[in-house]
Amino acid sequence: MLKKLTFGQYAHKDSITHKLDPRIKILAVILLSATAFLLETYYKFAIFSLFVFLLIMLSKINFSSLIRNLRPFFFIFAFILMMYILFSRNELDKGIQAIWKFVLLIIIASILTFTTTITNLVTGIEKLSAPLKLIKINSRTIALLIALTIRFVPALFLYAERIKDARLARLGSLKSPKHVKLLFLPLLDRIFKSASTLSDAMLARNYTEKRISYFSAIGLKNYDYISFTVLLAFIFLVLLM
Amino acid sequence: MIQIKNLDFKYEDELILKNINLELKDGCYTAIIGANGSGKTTLAKHLNALLMPTKGSVTIDEIDTKKDQISVRKKVGFVFQNPEDQLVYSIVEEDIAFGLENLGMRTEEMKTKVNSTIKGLDIEYLAKKNVNILSAGQKQLTALAGILAMSPKYIVFDEPTTLLDNKNKKNIMDVVNTLNKENKIGIILVTNLLNDIKYAKNVIVICNGRIIFNDKKSKLNNKILKKAGLDA
Ligand SMILES: Nc1ncnc2c1ncn2[C@@H]1O[C@H](COP(=O)(O)OP(=O)(O)O)[C@@H](O)[C@H]1O
Ligand SMILES: [Mg+2]
Repeated sequence: MLKKLTFGQYAHKDSITHKLDPRIKILAVILLSATAFLLETYYKFAIFSLFVFLLIMLSKINFSSLIRNLRPFFFIFAFILMMYILFSRNELDKGIQAIWKFVLLIIIASILTFTTTITNLVTGIEKLSAPLKLIKINSRTIALLIALTIRFVPALFLYAERIKDARLARLGSLKSPKHVKLLFLPLLDRIFKSASTLSDAMLARNYTEKRISYFSAIGLKNYDYISFTVLLAFIFLVLLM
Repeated sequence: MIQIKNLDFKYEDELILKNINLELKDGCYTAIIGANGSGKTTLAKHLNALLMPTKGSVTIDEIDTKKDQISVRKKVGFVFQNPEDQLVYSIVEEDIAFGLENLGMRTEEMKTKVNSTIKGLDIEYLAKKNVNILSAGQKQLTALAGILAMSPKYIVFDEPTTLLDNKNKKNIMDVVNTLNKENKIGIILVTNLLNDIKYAKNVIVICNGRIIFNDKKSKLNNKILKKAGLDA
């Protein structure tokens, strides 16, 4: 129930990765993912995986929650592997590497979500997208859209479920297209009502697109620059080897 | 002081508010009552510049709502009926800070303000919670905290208890009363529940977009309530 109502997987721990500025972590995820894609020898795979393993340890993430994130993909992994075994056994290496890359990507993304609060993540995205103002896109608008999605999507799911239950209780089944309409119209109605109140409520609290202050402020420290340099050095090393 | 002079308001061609004249004093506790569709919400939204008069004027401490919305909204907070739809951020304390961020308050000052507001309402235990797991009453308190943090001089409540259960209803009404008595905040309470007006000093009755009564609560009688379609 609680999972349905909230987004995110943040687990509060006292770790180096937790303390990093979200911008550094977002950039690190992008760079590491790109690097993972470029791995081609088992030797590089091993070094890269060791690095990711180190990150997991540094972030104090427990393995069971990582496995939980990977579990939904097990079926796909098994399927890919089976295809290779059945149809191109001589290229099995490629299959294993593809799956391995996939696992690495999921773990890298998980490290970000386990160690960063949603708010910091959104603020990080807001700050990183600031240059978009060159093409007239307001970064606070982007951040607000993400924040509102996180805030309202779980609530809407819950509401949809309530309508469904109410309708089921009255109609017995919801199979015909007419019944689907009965489900969506109230949902749409609700979305429009919510949006209208919300926009009034935001205006009433003086919403502005030019925000200058943050409740959960983020700031780059020496420690962020050092970590980022280490990361870049590692990536260069892996790619040049 | 809030002053409304000769206010008319139209939605498209339909005249919703008709020649409204009002004065609401600093520290007032005024209830606006009326049947559904009588124009209460429309009137309330004029008080913090969410709607502008078609004719006439609304001023808050001499500031015209047509001229300076930001100053008006700093002075007049607004709590809506549906606690669900007025919270912007997912975490309680962050949502409470939303208005302060918009005003550009410094982070340190903001933390102090949010903490003192949370303490004042006795909701410290909610600070880090996700909004979606709160009860309706807790959401309404969070919404109120977000307004209080902005230190308004007046707060407009638009049917704040309609969607709450009896216990939460009473709690919110007690909190509102305290804000009026101890913090000297002017309260404008829009409602169609006669139970809600027990703390109000003055009552305005609105019927079909017209004010038909505006006086001390003790002067209110059944004849007027009947006329407004509110007979208990
Ligand atoms: N956005 C709108 N567009 C057109 N008419 C509206 C709108 N909002 C409210 N009205 C009409 O204005 C009248 C007063 O509504 P409202 O102020 O919400 O009443 P109350 O809050 O007393 O229930 C109603 O007849 C309603 O139909
Ligand atoms: Mg109303």
